[in-house]
Amino acid sequence: MPYHEFECSTCIPERKKHAVVKGSGEDLTSALPLGYLNTIPGSISERGCAYCGAKHVIGTPMKDVIHISHGPVGCTYDTWQTKRYISDNDNFQLKYTYATDMKEKHVIFGAEKMLKQNIKEAFKAFSNIKRMTIYQTCASALIGDDINAVANEVMEEMPDVDIFVCNSPGFKGPSQSGGHHTINIAWMKDKVGQIEPNITSDYVINYVGEYNIQGDQEVMMDYFKRMGIQVLSTFTGNGSYDELRAMHRAHLNVLECARSAEYICNELRVRYGIPRLDIDGFGFEALSNSLRKIGLFFGIEDRAQKIIEEETARWKPELDWYKARLKGKKVCLWPGGSKLWHWAHAIHEEMGVDVISVYTKFGHQGDMEKGISRCEEGALAIDDPNELESVEAMLKLKPDVIFTGKRPGEVAKKIRVPYLNAHAYHNGPWKGYEGWVRFARDIYNAINSPIHKLSYLDISKDEIPTDKGFVTPRMISDINLSEDVTSSLKLRQYTGKYDSLADLRKKTYPSFERQSVDAA
Amino acid sequence: MKDLMKDRIEQLVNYIMKNCLWQFHSRTWDRERQNEGIITKTMELLCEEPVKHETPEDRCYWVDAVCLADAFQSRYPWLAAMDKPAIKLLMQGLKDRVDYLTIKGSLNLELTDQHY
Repeated sequence: MPYHEFECSTCIPERKKHAVVKGSGEDLTSALPLGYLNTIPGSISERGCAYCGAKHVIGTPMKDVIHISHGPVGCTYDTWQTKRYISDNDNFQLKYTYATDMKEKHVIFGAEKMLKQNIKEAFKAFSNIKRMTIYQTCASALIGDDINAVANEVMEEMPDVDIFVCNSPGFKGPSQSGGHHTINIAWMKDKVGQIEPNITSDYVINYVGEYNIQGDQEVMMDYFKRMGIQVLSTFTGNGSYDELRAMHRAHLNVLECARSAEYICNELRVRYGIPRLDIDGFGFEALSNSLRKIGLFFGIEDRAQKIIEEETARWKPELDWYKARLKGKKVCLWPGGSKLWHWAHAIHEEMGVDVISVYTKFGHQGDMEKGISRCEEGALAIDDPNELESVEAMLKLKPDVIFTGKRPGEVAKKIRVPYLNAHAYHNGPWKGYEGWVRFARDIYNAINSPIHKLSYLDISKDEIPTDKGFVTPRMISDINLSEDVTSSLKLRQYTGKYDSLADLRKKTYPSFERQSVDAA
Repeated sequence: MKDLMKDRIEQLVNYIMKNCLWQFHSRTWDRERQNEGIITKTMELLCEEPVKHETPEDRCYWVDAVCLADAFQSRYPWLAAMDKPAIKLLMQGLKDRVDYLTIKGSLNLELTDQHY
């Protein structure tokens, strides 16, 4: 096994089995790190907890809901707005965060009464919102508050409201991924099947594992609507609470992030016979294949093909402009769980960059199987890295850019490595054809920003050049490019709008005649 | 001849590993079902045999198989020169190799978990 031992972690020997190098001739039967295990004591992990995974990754993107944490205020406040899962109802779910503000006296005397009071106050304060999710935290789990009983009492007293309880305290572990699992199963068990939806199309899907980061879901919805597909629910980005109670009536579950949401797809398959189709919304080829597969499933491949041709013709010349300038750039692809495999091959093929390392904070070995398969030989794959290991890897590998979260991203900046926010994006959405070009543009700008060259200079000892003033990214990126590329009339930089969603939200769609009338 | 077959199987495996997700469902029984369903249907398409796709489950395998068969035919011109028995042999070899990489030889400790 080609394990990689970090110098900084020789004092934590268990860490050795959490990193491998994909060497020549290695495959998954010889190169796979351990994963989804409890963080080793002494290793300062970058992971989130199971509460955060349940609430802030899966639950909170639901847009028409009061999301309340039953615990100390820090649990919700310190994890609030860590992702940019926007919504088309003025971002209600992002603007407010709620906690019962549990203190020492509640730990001693119990906090159920206070919870009930909080629930009622929240509904009163936002009287147009009739749905709520409540999240257990370590503190409320340890004192044994029966949140479900309180929620049931309130629902009896207030018949027009509905409450979902998620018992996923932070210690349930081993990482936020444990929380994803818990909330998937809880939603399936407690809420799916409660509402019968209005079916308006012959082609009905649930769009699962999509969190509308900077509008990703709205981009994909545009394609689905153009194909005449009814999206019964989105789990959970820009999704509606009641729509998600009707998931059992879909004909197909289209699964984007298998890491966070495969559980509910698997359960829907077992309980309701709805098949699961895994797709990739990132990258021209992967997205085209995904749309084609959905089209084939419903017998409307021609509608998918039309979109593929239109969008490719519109955006490919812009993607290729960036590809010519990003070729050979070294990337560390260090996201949370699923983007290592969503992006590893697509950015290499379609943007020309070389993925020299993949890591996952909370992914399982299955995510590493996908990620390692999709990157090239020589890549360093790390499970649940600590900060010192990340720094050691960056100093050794010398990447041109890293894609990671905000916390490790700031560490990267300190050692002069540009970073892009893989969780919340820079100038997203990054999904869809246009989104993929926006991603390429962000990579280009990160690598070629003149600020990075300036930041390498230390004014206390380096000589500061005074003969060079104005520098632009193109002066840096185009220096070694051929004339064919620099003066190409076919290639062009991104020409989309600053806000690529505004027009989508105003768009109208053709109606397709139905072939059958659904009894449901 | 054996080396040629092996080399061709590796080309197909490489395509699947780089571009597909269906082979990486989370449990052994799932992976067995996925590999069997999709690779068998791909073989049937490549051999111009009838392919079942009436049930939702079969239809789901079939759409992946259609895309896979198209990708194989467009990327690997040597496939067009093979007769049907040879394609069947190739696809059986492919299935054995994918089964080995994702199930039998897999180091993934979660594959045998009894629950999702």
